[in-house]
Amino acid sequence: MIETFKLIIEEHISFRKQILKLAKSDLVKMYRGAALGWAWAVIKPMVTLFVFWFAFSVGLRRGGPIDGYPFFLWLIAGMLPWFFMSEMIVGGAACIRNYKHLVTKMKFPISTIPTFVNISHMFTHLILLAVTIALFISFGYFPDKYYLQIPIYMLMMFVFFTVWSLFAGLLSALSKDFQNLVTAFSSAIFWMSGILYDVNKIRHGWIRLLLKFNPVTVIANGYRKAFIYKQWFFEDTEELLCYCTTLFIFILAATWAYKRLRKEIPDVM
Amino acid sequence: MEKEIVIKFDNVTKMYKLYKSDKARFKGLFNKKVPYKKNYAVNKLSFEVEKGEGLAFLGRNGAGKSTILKMITGVAYPTEGEIYVNGKVSALLELAAGFDLESSGKENIRLKCNLMGMTDEEIDAVEQEIIDFADIGEYIDQPLRSYSSGMKARLGFAISVNSNPDILIVDEALSVGDKAFRKKCTEKVRKIMADSNVTLLFVTHSLSTAKDFCQKGIVLEKGKKLFEGSIDEAIAFYEERE
Repeated sequence: MIETFKLIIEEHISFRKQILKLAKSDLVKMYRGAALGWAWAVIKPMVTLFVFWFAFSVGLRRGGPIDGYPFFLWLIAGMLPWFFMSEMIVGGAACIRNYKHLVTKMKFPISTIPTFVNISHMFTHLILLAVTIALFISFGYFPDKYYLQIPIYMLMMFVFFTVWSLFAGLLSALSKDFQNLVTAFSSAIFWMSGILYDVNKIRHGWIRLLLKFNPVTVIANGYRKAFIYKQWFFEDTEELLCYCTTLFIFILAATWAYKRLRKEIPDVM
Repeated sequence: MEKEIVIKFDNVTKMYKLYKSDKARFKGLFNKKVPYKKNYAVNKLSFEVEKGEGLAFLGRNGAGKSTILKMITGVAYPTEGEIYVNGKVSALLELAAGFDLESSGKENIRLKCNLMGMTDEEIDAVEQEIIDFADIGEYIDQPLRSYSSGMKARLGFAISVNSNPDILIVDEALSVGDKAFRKKCTEKVRKIMADSNVTLLFVTHSLSTAKDFCQKGIVLEKGKKLFEGSIDEAIAFYEERE
């Protein structure tokens, strides 16, 4: 296991230049061919946000202010990382299949495919982050020192979903069933992860704790800490510990999958 | 003079696991008892290739030729045994494949060369040569999905032969394109073999082409080596068995 983990790291170091090149070409590819091009990176999430805002504020009329912030802004702060995470839950599972030609047609370390796919999505995320900050400013909420922790949560998100993509990508490459399973569960993850509600307000203590083992919850909550709650990431050590535990489990799982499947995947695909 | 060994197969076996279905394969990941059939594509194969040599693999379909070339390229891994490869391998396996269909010809050139481990300066040096060789005109700036299969093959061939490989793998690739392009390819392969001491591995059903390029031949059947020797002997042996 340790050797496989070392191998993954080594592959990343020796292919670091190619990883960046591939991330760039993945990014360019995502928006080319569309007349609006880059605007889609913003339009797609905006439509989703509008729908949620409409449903909660206009339809259900449940959108009261939270911590003095309009519900709409509270929603955006949590949805912002979710857009990245939802892309990577499904896209991560599909990433190795999508780059089949790198696996079966040339000598290329499979372990780096999830990494460059995640990097390219990170750029889209940065654009959305800029839009979000602009939106907060337009509502009169200016960036403060708590914004400094956003890069930390971005890194946590990037690391976890890269590991996830490697694990899920490998299993999906082997079996389409697994990929379908992930797709089926992605909307369940959305509703179970406290993106539309505050997990800390759940009454049952054990459910609250259980949800904290879900990195999606921790990260969405983290972005809200920076934008809304004005808390520091180290204040809730329990949350950090839960994130690290889950991350560790997935690192083990991804390493195991890579060890078992690295040589088999090219034959199967 | 002692010749340098660039490729060495030491008792290499490649076994494919054939499961009843994809579902069984997935189960097999967790449970080693799930039954599967074993298909030996390459069976206890050993051979050596010296630098600058041309080696042809002869054999019917399913003899394991493509699997051997894939293992040399690094796309497939041996189940048992050791493979030693020294040098930059450029493979002409399925020329039309391995491209990014949404990117333009030029971008694909850069991307593919990058993935082969070339630096930006090295790519700058060969880019024009590749474009000229592929000779597909205006299409070089168009996305690859608009290419005909012949054009993709030309681009693939142009990249592979112009990226200064140490080992060139040719799998039926010289049979693509029209007559003029085929001639150009043949000449190019001959030229780089003569100039730069490139090692050539060749798989073809055209025995005369094999004779043209190679000095040595290996005859394979069902993953096993039946004969190894000079190309003339190998062809004679192969034709006798047919």
